[in-house]
Order: sequence, then structure tokens, then C-alpha cells
Amino acid sequence: MLVITVEHLNKEFRIPHEKRDTLFAMLTGLMRPASYETFSALKDLSFTVEEGEMFGIIGENGSGKSTILKILARIMRPTSGTIEVKKTVTPFLELGVGFQYDFSAVENIRMYGIIMGLSQRQIESRTDEILEFAGLERFRDTKLKNFSSGMQVRLAFSTAIQTDPQILLLDEVLAVGDMEFQKKCLGVLDTFKKEGVTIIFVSHDLESVKKHCSRTLLISHGEQVMIGETAEVVDRYQRSA
Amino acid sequence: MQGNHLRELYNYRQLIWAIAWGDFKWRYKNSILGYFWSLLEPLVMLVILYIVFSNLMKVQVEHYQLFLLLGIIMWNFFVKATSYGLTAIVGKPSLVLKVYFPRDILVISGCITAMLQSLFESLIFIAFMIALWIPISVNIVYLVYILSIYFIITFGVALALAALNVYFRDIQFIWAVVLQAGFFITPILYPLSIFSPELQAILRLNPIAQIIVTARDSILYSIPPYSVSLAYAGTAAVIIFGIGYAIFLKLEPRFAEEM
Repeated sequence: MLVITVEHLNKEFRIPHEKRDTLFAMLTGLMRPASYETFSALKDLSFTVEEGEMFGIIGENGSGKSTILKILARIMRPTSGTIEVKKTVTPFLELGVGFQYDFSAVENIRMYGIIMGLSQRQIESRTDEILEFAGLERFRDTKLKNFSSGMQVRLAFSTAIQTDPQILLLDEVLAVGDMEFQKKCLGVLDTFKKEGVTIIFVSHDLESVKKHCSRTLLISHGEQVMIGETAEVVDRYQRSA
Repeated sequence: MQGNHLRELYNYRQLIWAIAWGDFKWRYKNSILGYFWSLLEPLVMLVILYIVFSNLMKVQVEHYQLFLLLGIIMWNFFVKATSYGLTAIVGKPSLVLKVYFPRDILVISGCITAMLQSLFESLIFIAFMIALWIPISVNIVYLVYILSIYFIITFGVALALAALNVYFRDIQFIWAVVLQAGFFITPILYPLSIFSPELQAILRLNPIAQIIVTARDSILYSIPPYSVSLAYAGTAAVIIFGIGYAIFLKLEPRFAEEM
């Protein structure tokens, strides 16, 4: 079954020549029409993703990879084109969204869990498991501001993976943390894959992409260069670089 | 706001509550007096204003301290809820840029945080009511309607401010001036009867004035509210809420790009 169908997706950003970010500037500028340039971040993209597939997106910096994820996550709206998503999307664009440093580990687990779509009850029953996975059992009531950045990431990741995703959007979040943590992360990815979770994986780490993704999309300056078997797409990308 | 949006909001009720309660706790987390700060603020205002207005200005109002306190608590709710509304979107960039949920949730949560604070402040008011042994009557049931209307008006204003502040960062300065002026043109310190009938008619156009007057009548003086006032405030609430939501929905699609 196709869970994601994207057809002729276009995204344009308006870049105003003169920034009118105050009411005053807008009122004084009423006489002169605002001039701006449009920047096409995505041009006529079409692709589909099968249920249970791990789908890679690669391309140089600024090619529009993250914009695709933001549109799939409904954070941004497309300028034109249609997007059909059949299941719930869980975006991992950043770990620890909504973390508050004045609150304890447990309080943050609760908040972050709810933001990621878990219910109060699910969080209660999984809190111990989350702390254990993060290796932070002793710090359950410690305020987040007293955590090292590594501990914060571990806490965020352990909470995030407790969400039961149907479609997971992954944007380089695995690039943080040490070797051991990364191994743990990839282990979790494998578990998700086995459970049949659809994963969209944006990465610069071509080795991981090759290892995990069955199909991959290569984009350059917002344009679709190639889509197909990961090995061939990665090969094409490496030759063009 | 359509039916399915209401259902969507209902599905997010745990998130709405978590954000509202989290902010409420966070506001008092690092202060020594904790939650009692929120009681101190209206109390200090009450004492100062009471001294100034009952002694120097010779305001002649029955139960003036309660008259004043109720006005302050109710006005404070509007000030807080709209101020939280201003920063509801721009103050939580990661929740807007990195995850998705209906963005009006952030504004609703802000209004609920303000409501929790006002409910807490009302404890002082209730304590005064009991201490002064002021009788209440059945007219107090109108309070449910009045406060609901008040919440809807405030929510509508907060929605508009939240959305506009993403695009125009000077809205917050303009709003500070509006609130300043609002404090004096709304009958918080004085009864409307000190003015000429013409001026009273103008001041009554402010729906919040109607709401505060009606609330005082029903709680303090056991006077049933005028149906005209109730109808006027209700109509104003529908209009303000409608405009607020329309502005929010119009500007919402590009929040993530403008931030």
C-alpha cells in the first residue's frame, strides 16, 4: 500500500527586498507595493512511499531536504501540488521539542511525550522504561538544566522512541551523540523497521542511507535528480559531487 | 471554527492542559514565595488604589474594597491572557517549527494559564467576601454566563494578537498602550455613575465594562443583570471571537516561514 503520494509539489518562499516586520513599516509602505523575489525551494517533485519502506532523501545543503519533511509534517504548506498521507506522521526533526530547563526529567518526559502524541497513561506506564533506556534512573527528579547536553539528548531520544510511529520523519537527529549512542539509535531504527514503520530518512551519512534505505530520492536545488534503488542513487550523487 | 476542528482540539486536550499547567507552574517555579506571588500582586494594587481612591478621591461606593478587588482581578485576567497570547506563537518557536499540532492550541493554553492565575487570585476575593460577611443571592448564577463571555472575548483578542505579532513585532508595544488606556476607560477604579449620562453611554460600548459592571452587580450587590447588557456582551463576544479567529486562520499557514 502507498502511504505517501506526492505529486507535482512546489514550494516557493518569498524574500522581500525590504523587510516590513512592523505595523509602522507596513502602513508607511502602503503606497508602494511590496517588492519581493520568489525563491523556489522545491520544484515539481513527485514520489511515492510504500508502507513499511525506509525511504532516503539525499542532496547537498540547501537542496530542500528539510523542506520536504516540514511539508510532510504539515509544519509548512506547499505552494502547489498534492500530498496524500494515509497514516499519522511523527516528525523527529529535532529532539527534545518543548524541553523546559527548570523542570525535572520526569516532568519533561511527560511534556515531551504528550507533544509527541502519547497519552498521559502511556507516559505514566513507560516513564521507568524511558529513564532506564537513557541510563538516567538516578536523575529522575533532577532539573534538566543540570544535565549535560549528552544526557539531554539521551532523555529526548528515549522519550521520542516511545511514541508508536506509523510514519517516521528523521532529519539528521542521529548525528548527535557518541558512538555508543548512535549504535543504540540504529538498533531502534531496525526495531521500527521490523515492526513495519514507514521511515523517511534525510541524511548526509551515505553509508547509513545505503545500509538502511531501499529506495532513495536525490534532489539538487529543489529539483528531483533521480529516484530509485539506493545504491544507484548514491552512486550518482557521489559522481556528481 | 468548524465541527471537525473542535473534535481535533478535543483530541489534543491533554496537550492543551499540559502546556497550560506547565506554564502556570513555570511562572512561579523560581520564586521564593512561589504561588503566593500571584496573590501579592493584586493585593498590593488593591491596597494602593484603595488608599488613593477612597481617601483622596472620596469615591463613595458600597463595599469599595471588594468593588475594586473584583475589577482588578477581572482586568488582570484580560491583561495576562492577551499578553500570553502575544507571545504564544513567537515565544515557542520549536513547537511551531519542529512539530505539528493545531497552532491555536498555544493560544488556548495561554488563556487557560491566565484563567488558572485568576482563579487563584479569586481566593483573596472569596476570603474578603466571607470576612465581610457579604450575602450572595441566586443572581450569582449569571456569573457563569458573564465569565464564559469574558473568556471568549479574551480568547478572540489573544488569537488576533498571537497571529499579528508573528508578522508585526511592534504590536506588543501598541498593545501595551491599549492596555494602559483600557485600564482607565474601563470602570475598574470607579463606578460609571460618576460620569454624565452621555459619557456613560460611550463607556458602555466597551463590552468589558459591561462584563465587569454586571459581575459586580450579581456578586456584590445581588442585583439581576440587565438583559440588554447580557445581550450586548454576548453579541460583542461572537463578533470579537469571529474576527480574532478569522485573522488567526488567515495568517496561520505562513507562521513557520515568518518566524
